[in-house]
Amino acid sequence: MPRLTIDGREIEAPAGQTVMEAAKAAGIFIPYFCWHPELSVPGNCRICVVGVEDKGGEWVDIACNMPVAEGMVVYTNSDKVRERRKATLQFITLNHPVDCGICDKAGECTLQDYHYEYNGERSVSVDSKVHATKHYDLSARIVLDNERCIQCTRCVRFTREVSMSFGLGMQNRADHSLVRAAEDGSFEADAYSDNVIDICPVGALLSRSFLHKSRVWYLKPAASVCPGCARGCAVNLWHRRPEWRLRAADMRAQNEGIQRVTPLENPAVNGPWICNKGRDLAKVFGRARAEVSMLKGRPADLHGALAQARSLLASARKPVAVVSSWGSNEELAAFKAALGSRFTTFVKADHEPQAGEVLEDAILIRADKNPNTAGARALFGDAAPAIPKDADLVLVWGEGFDFRLIPPEAKIVYLNAWLQPENGHADVFIPISIQTERDGHYTNFAGVTSAFSKCFAKPVGVADAEAVFPALAAMAGGGQ
Amino acid sequence: MPGRQLIMDFEVTPTSHTLEAYRARGGYATLEKALKSMQPADVTKEITASGLLGHGGAAFPVGRKWSVMKPGDGQPHYLCCNADEGEPGTFKDRWILEHAPHLLVESMLIASYALGVRNAFVYIRGEFDLPWRRIQGAVDEAYAAGLLGAKTFGTDFVLDIVVYRGAGSYVCGEASGLITSIEGRKPYPRNRPPRLTVKGLYQRPTVINNVETLANVTGIIRMGAEEFRKVGTAKSPGTQLVSISGHIAKPGVYEVEYGYPWVKFLDEDCGGMLNGATLKCVIPGGISTKVLTRAEIETLTLSHESVNPAGSGLGSGGMIAIAEGTCMVRLLQVLLRFYHHESCGQCTPCREGMGWMHRIIDRIVDGKGVPEDIERLYAISHANDGTTICGMGDAAGYATVGILNKYRDEFEHFITSKRSRFDGRLECLA
Repeated sequence: MPRLTIDGREIEAPAGQTVMEAAKAAGIFIPYFCWHPELSVPGNCRICVVGVEDKGGEWVDIACNMPVAEGMVVYTNSDKVRERRKATLQFITLNHPVDCGICDKAGECTLQDYHYEYNGERSVSVDSKVHATKHYDLSARIVLDNERCIQCTRCVRFTREVSMSFGLGMQNRADHSLVRAAEDGSFEADAYSDNVIDICPVGALLSRSFLHKSRVWYLKPAASVCPGCARGCAVNLWHRRPEWRLRAADMRAQNEGIQRVTPLENPAVNGPWICNKGRDLAKVFGRARAEVSMLKGRPADLHGALAQARSLLASARKPVAVVSSWGSNEELAAFKAALGSRFTTFVKADHEPQAGEVLEDAILIRADKNPNTAGARALFGDAAPAIPKDADLVLVWGEGFDFRLIPPEAKIVYLNAWLQPENGHADVFIPISIQTERDGHYTNFAGVTSAFSKCFAKPVGVADAEAVFPALAAMAGGGQ
Repeated sequence: MPGRQLIMDFEVTPTSHTLEAYRARGGYATLEKALKSMQPADVTKEITASGLLGHGGAAFPVGRKWSVMKPGDGQPHYLCCNADEGEPGTFKDRWILEHAPHLLVESMLIASYALGVRNAFVYIRGEFDLPWRRIQGAVDEAYAAGLLGAKTFGTDFVLDIVVYRGAGSYVCGEASGLITSIEGRKPYPRNRPPRLTVKGLYQRPTVINNVETLANVTGIIRMGAEEFRKVGTAKSPGTQLVSISGHIAKPGVYEVEYGYPWVKFLDEDCGGMLNGATLKCVIPGGISTKVLTRAEIETLTLSHESVNPAGSGLGSGGMIAIAEGTCMVRLLQVLLRFYHHESCGQCTPCREGMGWMHRIIDRIVDGKGVPEDIERLYAISHANDGTTICGMGDAAGYATVGILNKYRDEFEHFITSKRSRFDGRLECLA
């Protein structure tokens, strides 16, 4: 392995690595716009210049395309390098509108950071800027601001190397170059298109659903797991910081809604990407909630509902349970420990693939649209739900179950989080919390277990399933 | 005639470009000799010994480029002939394509034999019509005669040549842009490393040579490296096709033996300046080389070792003679408009810098220049020097700095008095 010196630190790097990769691995930061660890090296932004000692002098070139060599002496912050970076930033901001005040990227913009770090000066230019389309609909989901674009081509390369839709390209030449979508609609159909918003180093690619919704510094991320399919991609759920709560009358959606979803890098599951379905989790979690317990459709308090369920269970001769593949490992284990021996248990698919949805692909998306099927089946086997004719009590946990499969005379105990017509038909209905209201773990199709964390408090009157099962068992006399 | 002639050594007639006429001049005999009596390595050795320099502009030694190729290393190799002659002022390759297309085909056959190439390409610019018809016709004739696409002269050597028409872009003439264009993509030049002789067309070792460079190969193999070195000078062997234009009495393509006196070439061979005008300066080899004034070229000869120390280069041989009375500010405006138009927009310094310089020079010509503009042009040129992926950023900087250094007073005059020192009418054109 070649040994080289970067900023006076001697490091060892595998042959074939670039100086950029070697420096990153050693914890030495070199600025970059166009380079991305998962994409090819275009070397077009020219900000990652480093100096290399040579015969008493120093030559300067880009680090992202410079192979490491034995005995190389590299400087990331010499006078020459600083001068080059400054000149490059002058070029990059030459036609950039610097409209940070109205830009969604402000606060997490690479160009902003680098400008303050490496340049910090006014533009040398006195000429007018080149104007371009300020608001271009790249797809139904993405808005493009061509004036902010620094033409790093990350988005173009993403569609060619990762999502394979070949949906984007560069049009025209020189400072009139524009990122544009292919005319065949392949970008519109790209199930991973929103990733280009994250990898855009400036505010050129903007999410339509997040457009002008919030400044990013009012939000904080909560590490979570996307429940959209059995892949279980790691995501950040961005929600409003409690100290920045809006205090007007009906601000619940803003204060307690998911503002946006971004990928959380996890090499074991999803790398740095997620699909567009994961971006729309706010719609999944934002559905109307069931918040009141019911007995045959009549509102009841939670304690009364639990007591009724216990008495049904006590008198049941053949109780059957259908558990949720959206339940966390903790909840499933709680069910197994408290009630497992009392019930004949099946695992159901809470969500089936929707029309128009990508069923499965070679990148991330799995055909099973539930996050914890693997975790549930590990505890309860993988037999399909088949309710015996002689079942006299059926406990259904979670949505997506066909109630016609239940024998007409059997009693029904139903645990669900959403406001749905079935709720009122159950003998006992208990509202339960959702993923964003508790901590827990899911096990994905490949057996990788990922944790999700709580963003919001659960509504009053709603129970955690993890607490309901021991309560039923205790009230039912130990569940043995 | 400016010295001995190696390429333009025959009389041009309406049929001199055909296979029949070329064979009558002894064409394809060298190919037969090479295939039957020489090993591929011998051909490369001969080219290396000849000291042949690239004629595309950079004057890179051809032997050194060829020696990197390892025929028979188990992967395909490619040869591309760069006929995307886009450097303003240059039109010498057009002469070869129009009048000696078979010389190029024979040379490509010999070169492919030496380099272990099975498929070769001629990348010709889309604006060329007659040259394209001529080279395509020559390739068709060679196929019909069994020289291409079949076992040439009964040996095991087979070559296919594809003539590929570009859609017109300056950067397509840059070697890596050219191969990217052949691959069917936007001709963005590529970063080095890897060099194209290691990973070029379709990620395989590729040699890319200019038309004129390749056209010299047949002559070298025919006469031998030793004979070839007797033409020209010790450091610049052979000849150079010079395409001269501008305010000159007899513009056109001339084959100049290296070492020929420059002033003599202009005054005698090209018939002097147009209508007896005085020479102000000359752009030696395409607009990307620095201008030289009349006084500077007085003692120079047309050879690399003579022109390079003067701070310029022979480049692609696209010489432009400029008469006294020409406004250098407007001249620079034309050049920068070209560079702005042709910047591919891939890397930052060139994409932004070309447009910036163009806007500044436009403003100066509009009479809205400010004194700082001159320093700004210097700074942009400097920031483009060696920072771009291909050589275009540097080239624009050289051209700008070359003119600014020598004619700064004209720029200052234009900025302070808001008009050109010259009224725009040239006596020689009256």
